[in-house]
This record gives sequence, structure tokens and C-alpha cells, in this order.
Amino acid sequence: MIIRGGIVYDPANGIFGEEMDICIDGGRIVEDAKGEVIDARGLLVMPGGVDAHTHIAGKKMNTGRIMRPDDSRLGTEPRSGVCRPSTGYTVPNCYAMGYRYARMGYTTAFEAATPIIEARHTHEELEEIPILDKGALTLFGNNWEVMECVHDKDIAKLAAYVAWGLRAARGYGIKIVNPGGGEAWGFGSNVKGLYDPVPNFDVTPAEIIHALAEANEMLRLPHSIHLHFNNLGKPGNYTTALETLEALKDIKPSRMRQAVHVTHMQFSAYGGTSWRDFESKASVIADYLNRHDHATMDMGQLLFGAATTMTADAPLEYGNARLTHNKWSNHDIELEESSGVVPMVYLRKMLVNAVQWAIGLELALLTEDPWKVLMTTDSPNGSPFVNYPEVIALLMSKPKRDSEMATLHAELSKRTSLGGIEREMDWSEIAIMTRAAPARILGLEDKGHLGLGADGDVSIYNLSPEEVDASKEHATVKKALATAKYTIKSGIVVCKDGEIIATPRGKTYWVDAAALQADMDRLMVDLRDKFERYYSVQMSNYAVQDVYVTNPKVIKAGLGAEPLKEVA
Amino acid sequence: MRNIVIAPLAPIRISVEAEILSPDIFAPLSLEQICGLDVWQGNRKRRISDLFRVVGDEGPVKPEETALRLEGDFSRVKRIAEGMTAGTVDVTGSVGMHAGNNMKGGRLRILGNADDWLGREMRGGSIIVEGNAGNYAGAGYRGERCGMRGGEIEIRGNAGAYLGEHLCGGNIRVAGNAGDFPGAANQGGTIFIGGSCHLPGAEMTKGAIIVNGKAKVLPGYQKLEIVTIGGEKYQKYAGDLVENGKGELFIQAGSS
Repeated sequence: MIIRGGIVYDPANGIFGEEMDICIDGGRIVEDAKGEVIDARGLLVMPGGVDAHTHIAGKKMNTGRIMRPDDSRLGTEPRSGVCRPSTGYTVPNCYAMGYRYARMGYTTAFEAATPIIEARHTHEELEEIPILDKGALTLFGNNWEVMECVHDKDIAKLAAYVAWGLRAARGYGIKIVNPGGGEAWGFGSNVKGLYDPVPNFDVTPAEIIHALAEANEMLRLPHSIHLHFNNLGKPGNYTTALETLEALKDIKPSRMRQAVHVTHMQFSAYGGTSWRDFESKASVIADYLNRHDHATMDMGQLLFGAATTMTADAPLEYGNARLTHNKWSNHDIELEESSGVVPMVYLRKMLVNAVQWAIGLELALLTEDPWKVLMTTDSPNGSPFVNYPEVIALLMSKPKRDSEMATLHAELSKRTSLGGIEREMDWSEIAIMTRAAPARILGLEDKGHLGLGADGDVSIYNLSPEEVDASKEHATVKKALATAKYTIKSGIVVCKDGEIIATPRGKTYWVDAAALQADMDRLMVDLRDKFERYYSVQMSNYAVQDVYVTNPKVIKAGLGAEPLKEVA
Repeated sequence: MRNIVIAPLAPIRISVEAEILSPDIFAPLSLEQICGLDVWQGNRKRRISDLFRVVGDEGPVKPEETALRLEGDFSRVKRIAEGMTAGTVDVTGSVGMHAGNNMKGGRLRILGNADDWLGREMRGGSIIVEGNAGNYAGAGYRGERCGMRGGEIEIRGNAGAYLGEHLCGGNIRVAGNAGDFPGAANQGGTIFIGGSCHLPGAEMTKGAIIVNGKAKVLPGYQKLEIVTIGGEKYQKYAGDLVENGKGELFIQAGSS
């Protein structure tokens, strides 16, 4: 396949809007190819989109579907051509996940939170998502074995457990959600800060995070720790964010990437002492990231309208449920986690929601280096992923932001600095935030770029980057991004003019990390005891079997592994 | 006024999904175009003229100048007048489920009975049923947080269970009895029940329910004074305190 004459943005390879041909053969980018010619003359061409943090599969997504038949009705599309029926808006069915991402030019998406014991369910759903390549991060932040290793300061055994857990979950990396808080919630409380001990374990969130980061680097995992801060969603929590980042400064990454990825930073950049004097502290956070290189983040942008909050941060969800009087679900997951789901509607007339909306944008616009901040909505927590084009249009257009702000609460300009920010992102920066940076941050060497040997994932948009002024014509930008002219996945045209025309199966990434056998043996003694005494399942039935991951892409890591190839 | 009369060619045994039987859809179309509209019967797509006889005045007109008359038994025809904004629909017989759902304006009058989900999530306009209504009249559909938000529903016979569940506004008036749990999770609408009912206002947070007959009151209600409304004496209650509710419940004094 040859894609002719497109205006290519491939920031990982230093290509910023050059007219060039892209050739794909055998599902990969090559020097020269024959066959189908796609005319992309003058059109915007980028690598296929990569979403490094989204909720697309697993038990809490399904809980959302079960408790929201009202949401199911919002997004029904009948079966057509190669497509199976779609349902849902904030909590779509599995098929819709694949079709809707592909329609926007995305080809890769990573599910952000799976407890090991529920990983089989996650993979059963990932298997049903068409088109996309995907992976799932595994939750470790409230795990009993983790906290015991941390208490004993036994990082080697912790690394062995992480390696074992990733293998059992067929997981991709370490996700940490409100470390210690989920466990404390089992006893009706929460941890209030980084140094507040977890009941019954005599460890602090700071120790858990630091130890997991050390284990992460000991195992040379492709991704860093993926962190959801303590005190998330509370006024004044920006101090917790800064404290946590400061505590991770001494972690030395085992490869060329960040030492910590902070997810949905918008929910952790809050000032004020209560919802009454709630204000943005995005500038402080962005300033910190501008001065330090060990951390990256994603926006977690909030948009007005319907959302469904779902997270392993169960005490937060209990708070949401009390606040909204909405229906809710809370869940205690054996020795590993807790979780919750609450439907939400973000309102323009609510000052708090307007400030939250502004914070996400401020974070992205005030952080100078676009490699440090990914465009996400923490779908479906801030807004479902189908609204990404709206976020991109806001980042690219000051007039659009101004006209939005004019419809919001008058007090907003006092609570945030968004109105004074002149910056308008260009296509290079957007290509970084949605393609190159997420692939680099996740450590996916074949994704997010169009260099030789990369996966043949390309998106072509019906928009000429040289002619369209994104600042003024933001409506055109939004429309073009919402329906890609072509989405090409592994050299197959899956979407043409917004219509899905092929649904090939994607791969599932997981990380197989090796640990020292001696540490593994010590670990097994602990685990056998835990399964015998506490777990509801046998150890032999616990791990996800290969039959649940039928198209795996295994990335080797760990102590014995060769140093990993650097991402471009 | 443009009058259009629609009648089944033969008794309808398999349910028809007829959200197009609405003044908004018919007003801009000629009779021939109306005959050619698609409806689903079971899993088959049919044309209106396959199932119904359509006669009346020619269009186009505005929806508010359209009077639709449905003659005969429509009890297996669902979603009549869905989302209508203006004009009138008169049904001489009974209607199937979901009649007048999401209605925003105009008037729907049913001389027979209405099935379940009458006027669910209705926003405006009025519905009059001369006979009985099924369950969930004026309620929100599965999972929905708000049922009816505005407009009026008048049921001259009896109503089924969960009358006005999740009501967020508007008025419902039932001349006869209502079933179990009328006004459950009421958040701001008013319900008048001429007869009796069982356990009104569970989880009500706002709004009012008046019961002219007998009703068993839930333990989450606080008994207040006797008040007089329109010359009748009612026992007033406040609740549902389970939800810290500010709803008002009035039961005919001396009836319970």
C-alpha cells in the first residue's frame, strides 16, 4: 500500500508537516511497496492514535453498563455491513469501543486498571474489541502481598511478585490507585496523605509508591509506574501531587523514559479548602513539570455533559455518590483493591465543573513540552473518548476557548488562568500528545511513529493542515478529527470517510518479566499461604490462561532480559 | 386543521413499532408519502399502507395544524405520538406501550385504555386517557433518573403500579385507584389519586402526592397536621425521611 502525497506529521522521527509518501507492506512501514494507492494529496497524515489511559474493558466497565441501561439507549447503532450493533455512550459495548476509536483514527488503546483476580474478565472483553491493539495495566497499589513486601523493605521479593502478577494478569504495567486508601476503605476509612499509615500494614502510601517504582525499574519494564494520586478529586490536593512527585525524584529509570506517569492530572490539580473556594492550581503543577524531567502526565480533561466515573478509588466514588445522590456501586476486591462506579453529569452552570474543565486545558497549555502531557479524558470519567476531537479543537483554538468561557460562570476567570493563556497548539504538538508521546511513555516501540519497521497504523484526515487555520476554523478541525478519511490498521483500511469497512483483530500486549528464581521461591511460600487462607479461588485457577489472550504480543523484560530497545 | 384518519386494515396481532404515528412526522408529507413510510412489525419492515388505511386532507401543513385520528384497536401498536411537539392525536380504541413517550407538546387523547409506560419521560403537552393506564405511567424508562418533567397526564380510570416513578415535574391526575408505589422517587412533580393506592412516595425527595382514598403510608414518613385542600380534609405527611426528603403526602383524613 502506498499513501501518496499526504502532509505527514511524525514527530518521533522529526517530521513536522512534510509532503511525503508512506509505504506499508506486510502490516509494517517499509521503504517501498506496491499495491493499493491511497490518494492523500494535501491531507493531514499522522500515525494511528494511541490512547495510553482509558477504561474500555473489565468488570467496572461492565458494572457501568449494567447500572446504566439509560446510557445504553444513548448510543445505539444498528448492525451494518461488517459491523455488529453498537450501544451506549459513556459505557459502550465492546464492539462500539473498536469502531468508535477507529473512526477517530485511533488504532491502539490501553485499559487503565485491572486487578489481577479480575483480569480474565478484562481479557474476555478485550478479545471482543475489534480493530484495536490493546493492553491492560495491572493494579498493585493496595495489594496485601505488595504492602507486606514494602513493610519488610524486600524490593527483590516485590519485583518477583510484580513479575508474577503481570504474568498472572497478562498485564502490561504497574498501575497504582490511591495507594493504601483502597485497603483502608475496607475498614471504612481512607489515607489522608502520603505519610498516613495504612491500617494493619504499618506502611505509608509514600513507601508503597516508592517501592513499586523501584521494583518497576529493577524489572526494566517498558512502562513506568502509572499513578493515580492519593486525595484525588479533593480541593487542595495539589500539595499531595507535588509531594508525591518530589518523593519520586531519586528513582532512576531503567530506560529512556519517565520514572512516573501521573494519570488524569486534572483531578489532582485542585486548590482551595472546600468546594466553595475551589480553584485551579494547574499552573503550579505545570511549572513543576517544566522544571523536572522525571514525570509525565495525561490531562484527564473534563467536558460538559454525561460521564460515568469508574475507578479503583472506592472512597472517592462513595463521596461522589453522596454528593450526587445518584445510583452507585462499590466493590471490595479480595486482597487486591476496592472500586466504584457512579454516573455523573457535568454542568456548564456549575462553577466547580467549569473550573475542572479549565484545569485540564491549563495543564496541557502551560506545560511547555508536549512530550510530557498526553491528551486524554480519562474516558469515561471526564467524558467519553468520542469527544477527543472537542479537546483537540480547544487546545488548538484560543477563540474557541474564549467563546466557551463566555458561556460559563462569571467567577471562572478568577479561579483559573485559562483566559490569559494565548498558546494555540499546532499539528506537531497534537501529533505528539496523541501519538508519539503515549507510545514513548508506554514503551511501545512499534507504535506512534511512521519510521521503517513501525506498525502500519496510519490515520488520514479530510483536512489540509496548510490551508486550514485551526484557530479560526475550529469547527472544521473538530469535524475532520471525529471522522477520519482513512484509518489504516496494520496496512488494512479499516475506516473510510467515517464508515467502518473492515474489522481485523488486534493484538493484546503483555509484559513477561523475569525475576530471580530464589526470590520467586520465597514469594511462593507467601502466596500459597494467602490462597489457602484468604482467596476465594485456588492458586491454580487464578492466572489468566492463554486461551483468553488469543493474539498476544509478549514483551520480554526482567532481570535476565536484554536491555530494551529504546523507543524512537 | 388538516384531518388525517388512520385505521387498521385487519386486526393487528404482531406488535407494530409506530413512533411515526405523530403529527410532527405527518404534517409536512402528502397522503401518498405517509402511506409509503416504514414501520416495523415484529422483525419485518412494512409500509404504513400494508397495515393501515390512511384517508384525510392533503398537506403539507405545520404540526400544530394537524389532527390525527386513530380509529379502531391500536393496543398492539407501540410508541404512538412519540416525541410529538404540537397538534392533536385522538385514538378511539386502546393503545399499546410507550404511547406519548418523550412528548413535548400538543394533545394525545385515548378513549380506550393505555398500556405500560404511557407518557414516560414526557416534557410537555397533555395526555388524556378515558379508560385505564398500565404500569409506569409518566415514569422514567429503565435506568433513567428523571421520568416526566412537564405537562399533564389525566387518567379517568385506574392506573397501574409505579405511577410517576422518578417524576421530576408536571402533573398526573388519576380519577380511580393507583397500584403499588405511586410517585416512587418523586423529585418535584405532583400526583393526585382520586381513589386508593399502596405505599405512595417511596424515596420521594420533592413534590406532592394527594390521595383521596385509602393508602398505606411508609414508615419513612412523619405525620403532621390535618389540612384542608379544596374543602376536603387531609392528613399531611412529610418525607421520605429515608432520603432526607422534603416531599409532601396528603391522605384523605379518616380514611386510614
